[in-house]
Amino acid sequence: MPIKRLLIANRGEIAVRIVRAAKAKGIETVLAVSAADRDSMAATEADRAVVIGPAAARDSYLNGDMLIHAALSTGCDAVHPGYGFLSERAAFAEKCENAGLNFVGPKAETIRLVGDKLAARALARSAGVPMVSGSEKVDTVDDALRIADGIGFPVITKASAGGGGRGMVVARSPEELRSSFDAASHEAKEAFGDGTLYLERFVERARHVEVQVVGDGKGNIVHFAERDCSLQRRYQKMVEEAPAAILSPALRNRVSQAAIDLLSPISYRNAGTVEFLYDEETEQFFFMEVNARIQVEHPVSEQICGIDLIQRQLDVACGEASELAQDDIIPAGHSIEVRIIAENPLDNFRPSPGRITNWSAPSGTGIRVDTAMASGVMVPPYYDSMIAKLIVTGRDRDDAVARLRDALDSFVIEGIATNIDLLRFISRHPDFIENRIDTRWAERVLLPEFLSDKGAP
Amino acid sequence: MTNVTPEDVQALIELFDAGDWDELHITLDDFQLHLNKDPAARRAWNGGERTVVDTPAASVATPAPVAVPAASATADATGSADYQVPDGMSVLKAPNLGTFYRSPKPGAAPYVEIGQKVDADSDVCLIEVMKLFTPVKAGVAGTIREILVSDAELVEFDRPLFVIEPDA
Repeated sequence: MPIKRLLIANRGEIAVRIVRAAKAKGIETVLAVSAADRDSMAATEADRAVVIGPAAARDSYLNGDMLIHAALSTGCDAVHPGYGFLSERAAFAEKCENAGLNFVGPKAETIRLVGDKLAARALARSAGVPMVSGSEKVDTVDDALRIADGIGFPVITKASAGGGGRGMVVARSPEELRSSFDAASHEAKEAFGDGTLYLERFVERARHVEVQVVGDGKGNIVHFAERDCSLQRRYQKMVEEAPAAILSPALRNRVSQAAIDLLSPISYRNAGTVEFLYDEETEQFFFMEVNARIQVEHPVSEQICGIDLIQRQLDVACGEASELAQDDIIPAGHSIEVRIIAENPLDNFRPSPGRITNWSAPSGTGIRVDTAMASGVMVPPYYDSMIAKLIVTGRDRDDAVARLRDALDSFVIEGIATNIDLLRFISRHPDFIENRIDTRWAERVLLPEFLSDKGAP
Repeated sequence: MTNVTPEDVQALIELFDAGDWDELHITLDDFQLHLNKDPAARRAWNGGERTVVDTPAASVATPAPVAVPAASATADATGSADYQVPDGMSVLKAPNLGTFYRSPKPGAAPYVEIGQKVDADSDVCLIEVMKLFTPVKAGVAGTIREILVSDAELVEFDRPLFVIEPDA
């Protein structure tokens, strides 16, 4: 049965994005907001907003029972979790299911399966999807040393229970592994409540390539080409592009097929992303993880494929037959997204919440800005500091890069510090223009050059 | 005399909600129903003491009243943090979102009535979230002067619930 009224359990630009996608499908929207967001753009645009709790996320956007109560009490029949917050909590998806609400995401069991990195690796193995040579869980330093010897240095430790850089340490020798293992496990335990680690071979010059898919929950899965998100700082993506211009057409087909092979056996439902590490020297790609949610960078795939991924999420969540056939999805052009963040790159990327006194976003052909900001709006200090996504699309990568440069130059944000100057610096950097970057380029090349250019210590 | 069931009321609300009527009144022997899509209307009707549907707390499975004003914003007369506190009065606000109940259980007498004296630690209502019922305390010793919310209504965080005149 189609969704009639949707509760949106998120905030910021993605809440606005979901409200608009739902309205375009004739679905009524109820936005659950914290007290800090009662006057936000999404609250204004939604048919109704309900204040569920105080500003702190744990009392509002992370309080699953309260959100479900709000959904039922306002007559909603579905819940969209957006990204972050409760989007990948299996227990929340399960509670929605039990309350008779359509969870706009995967089945709870799927979230559980792909959220456990070791289980996900087993899934990849049985699907014949290549992985970086790695290990099952590693309990002790001695185990780690023995296993690392088999894999070959350098190795990287990873947390079984989550990503985002927590529990990740690169060791180039047994000595380095011995000294860093316990700290990595402790960090994973602190971040995810589970200190279980595993080891992987570390690729020095790697690219981050990921495939966007949508599955209907009945075994049909289509892909919307791939993205290159190699420009990262401490495993946080800064710039995302589609397609991955570095890959040959044959490789592009292979990586997309690998993503489908991996998720078909579990009849994946929802939009999702399969992340791969790509070794440019050997032209090999390796499975990293599955993200079972809509992602921040989904717009670049939308731009080159000409579809609305949030609307597709709403279709498959309520079991509406997918009208999508792979042959109908024909990527064209090149799209680049940059994340505009309320932070000061000259002050160790310190977050800079506050009131925006002047906001003027670029517009025009090939320019899209996803945001919940405007002049006079407060960036609250309680949440993620991303304030906008600038998405530019052109005929090819060069065209898109030129458009990115112009769009960034005309973007005006006053009242708070942002990373726009850094993004402008990237858009003019020869390595970026010539697409010679990797996942560690920002730390190795970009930041030192940017800081010295700005005369910072 | 009349045999109006909660299911009938539910069906009426759904029809009303889906249609383009703005207002609906039904009066039978011992039954009155007033539906309105204007959030301001509930205050104007019957002195603001009742909400759109006045059914006993637990006899309707779905808390129907709040489903009606689909397009109401957060800022109606009592729903916002901007509520003007009358001079010398103390206002007790909802500690979180939930369903407001005046009685400890269906059919029981309300915790408090207008004019009743309360202590700071007197329970004055329940807020329910997913079958978890949490009593709310008055927070101040005084006299209940106004009850701003109807039984079984969804209240948002910070919504004013009671006006209490503190003891001098």
